[in-house]
Amino acid sequence: MVFNSLQFVWFFLVVYALYRVLPHRGQNWLLLTASYYFYAAWDYRFLGLLVASTLVDYTCGLALGAIQVQRRRRAVMWVSIGFNVTLLGFFKYFNFFADNLHVVFGALGWRLDFVTVRVLLPVGISFYTFVTMSYVIDVYRRDIAPTRNLLDFAVFVAYFPHLVAGPILRATTLLPQIATPRRVTGPQIREGLWLIAWGFFQKIFVADNLAPLASRVFAPGAHETGINVLLGTYAFAFQIYGDFAGYSNIARGTSKLMGIELIENFRFPYLVLTPQEFWRHWHISLSTWLRDYLYIPLGGNRGPKWKTQRNLLITMLLGGLWHGAAWTFILWGLYQGLLLMLYRPFESAFAALRHRKGSQGATGAAFAETQRYRRFHLRASRFGGQVDAAGSAFAACIMFHLTCFGWLIFRAPSLRGLGVLSRSVFTHFAPATVDVTGLLVPLLLYSVPLLIVHALEARADDVLVVPRMPVVIRYTVYVATMYLIFLFGNFGGSEFIYFQF
Amino acid sequence: MAWLARRALLLLAIGGAQFAAFEGALRTWGHSEAAPSFQALFVPDAQIGYRLRPNARTRFVTSEFDAHIAINAQGVRDDRDIGPRPSNERRIVVLGDSLVLSVQVDRQQTFCSLLEARLNRDGGRYTYRVINAGVQGYGPVEELLFFREIARQFQPDLVIEAIFVGNDAEEAVASAPRLGRAGAATAAVMTSETLITRLRRIVRHSMVLQVLRLRIVSLVDRLPTWTAPPEAPLQSYAAKPAPRIADGLRISRDCIESIANDAANTGARTMVMLVPARFQVDAADYDRLKAAVAQAGGELVRDAATERFNAALADLPLPRLDVLPALRAAAPAGDVFFQQTVHLTPRGHEVVADAMERFIREKGLASGL
Repeated sequence: MVFNSLQFVWFFLVVYALYRVLPHRGQNWLLLTASYYFYAAWDYRFLGLLVASTLVDYTCGLALGAIQVQRRRRAVMWVSIGFNVTLLGFFKYFNFFADNLHVVFGALGWRLDFVTVRVLLPVGISFYTFVTMSYVIDVYRRDIAPTRNLLDFAVFVAYFPHLVAGPILRATTLLPQIATPRRVTGPQIREGLWLIAWGFFQKIFVADNLAPLASRVFAPGAHETGINVLLGTYAFAFQIYGDFAGYSNIARGTSKLMGIELIENFRFPYLVLTPQEFWRHWHISLSTWLRDYLYIPLGGNRGPKWKTQRNLLITMLLGGLWHGAAWTFILWGLYQGLLLMLYRPFESAFAALRHRKGSQGATGAAFAETQRYRRFHLRASRFGGQVDAAGSAFAACIMFHLTCFGWLIFRAPSLRGLGVLSRSVFTHFAPATVDVTGLLVPLLLYSVPLLIVHALEARADDVLVVPRMPVVIRYTVYVATMYLIFLFGNFGGSEFIYFQF
Repeated sequence: MAWLARRALLLLAIGGAQFAAFEGALRTWGHSEAAPSFQALFVPDAQIGYRLRPNARTRFVTSEFDAHIAINAQGVRDDRDIGPRPSNERRIVVLGDSLVLSVQVDRQQTFCSLLEARLNRDGGRYTYRVINAGVQGYGPVEELLFFREIARQFQPDLVIEAIFVGNDAEEAVASAPRLGRAGAATAAVMTSETLITRLRRIVRHSMVLQVLRLRIVSLVDRLPTWTAPPEAPLQSYAAKPAPRIADGLRISRDCIESIANDAANTGARTMVMLVPARFQVDAADYDRLKAAVAQAGGELVRDAATERFNAALADLPLPRLDVLPALRAAAPAGDVFFQQTVHLTPRGHEVVADAMERFIREKGLASGL
């Protein structure tokens, strides 16, 4: 059941009507039932995995709360991590490793018939295993107390808006909202409806209309010139953003209608200046998860520089592998890790320059500085003109193209295909062969409206700027969004890309 | 309340202004089948539902093609009117849907015109006239009704029923109720459709409303599946098709038989031509669709629809031409289908015309005309 289907509309209307009349505990029972139904609509056979993951981590949480001996507590945490990683490893990566073993051993003349079983990928497994792992680790670290209420915990894990494609929620954010009575406010309804409409716009108008452009360029065996590969890559950049951010917005919007606040997962990621900023604006719930549960435990940026670089590389490599069992995803993770590593020396130099010129904050405190930093690249004048607007635009353009090269790796049909596409871009650009009507015009048509709202949000540093604008502008954007969806939207009901991850 | 009324008025004003803006933009740049100029090609018909408007003219432009379309006084795509058949003329009527009408190419580039030129190439006792009686969106049911109501009067010597295997079975099921209505008195239908006709006329004059109408139609079509999981697309090609496909094949077969019987009553022969979908010819398109259908829980069998039509029509004693092998053989040398529509390119029309000419001559359908 995808969000952009009539089936979901019907499902949500029924759930929401009941939700609004039930008391708090009844609402939680309803959410659990609805979430399990939502998941079973994909494939009821995998519902058992979801329930097993819930029970194991609920029990581990209780055990962590009861045990005081640190060694035993660590053992319990590793039981949970081991269980979830085994689930993920078997269902998501078994085929990948089996296929590669076949290739390696086949080259040596050996046959490995015992690994021919085909394993189906349960939808959303990458998301809910990360959610439950983070809960157990947080309890282990004593950041949160374990919940004793199995119903609340089961709702936290299975909560349908985020179940199959995130955001990857933390217990600290969601559990308290599930455990206490919720009140739906007027602004929440207004913002929720806008997020749902905007999410549909991103999915139906942007992503699904740009998908054929990207598919054409990235089709196995396609031989496009460099300029057309570049346009196809731009199309994919906006497609994957529209698709994933669209899902996140619909998830946030439906949650707001139920009085539940989910974290932002995207903040205008194509207007950033640096690789570090990109990962603070793109799939925020995954990047912060990787930061908190992988990068920092590995040592983070403590210790010698080479260790920090190593930690970055490992984190991003695993981040790439999280997206799927394919060499192109691993290479994409490696590329993102290298970008972050190469950026670090410039980060220091850039921060020193800013510090010398009297700007506030320092590089090391970049996380805390995010708000100011965002304004920096969009309103350079506020920072005393250290970097002018043209310079910021240039840096954003460079960063966008570095990101696009990452998407080229990510979307390539194979490593061989990546070679063909890269050669086209770098050795056979042929600008005169640009396909104006087939690629350029549709790309502009389907991405410019998104970029306009993107720019409005970035300017105000607020992804919910539209519902807070003066009424005339607000209504103009609302109506234009609806017209664009209904007149030009692609109503094929295609699945969201991130379901496969 | 006054606050609410002011807001509603504001919303209405903004909605109206944007409606005008989108309407203007679509009329200027949005060359599509929803354009009023294209919609003006059609006229409601009490029996068939709709047909081509006699004497209509338009130019259809998209990013892929630019074609002039002229409908003659009899309501088929032709620059010339169709009068009583001269004694030295032999007529072939080609019934079908958009693949026959072919609004993507100029008239001289359609396989009907190309076939006519090929049959007349060597001169001879007779001149041949091939009449393009295709209408956008028709299925076997509408084609039967169109033949009875209009095309039969063209006094054909050979009727070619062009079946688009991709959706004709589905369309036959959807249109089957028209068969029951065709024999009934039409006065009541005409009366009840007056209001609808008026509304349609209003909608046809606006591109925005045309698109919105299509959205609503599509939504209504999907209503029965609200509570059921969505059906995998391309059921005509599914390894395990929905039961309606078998019904559609049976209805299609019956319609073709009726056309053949009606034609035989006027001394005309009938042949069937099976036209494939683009992905049956284009491997990349097939891979993409196969993956999409698999993702929706189905299994796409590339030539299943062609095989099913062949099996369904096996007991009819009619010559049957499948143009799939010819198109497949020609595909490596260049596109035979457009990329953004599922219709034949000028080269595709050439290939089909060649295959038709060869078949007609081999089967002696030309000499016997």
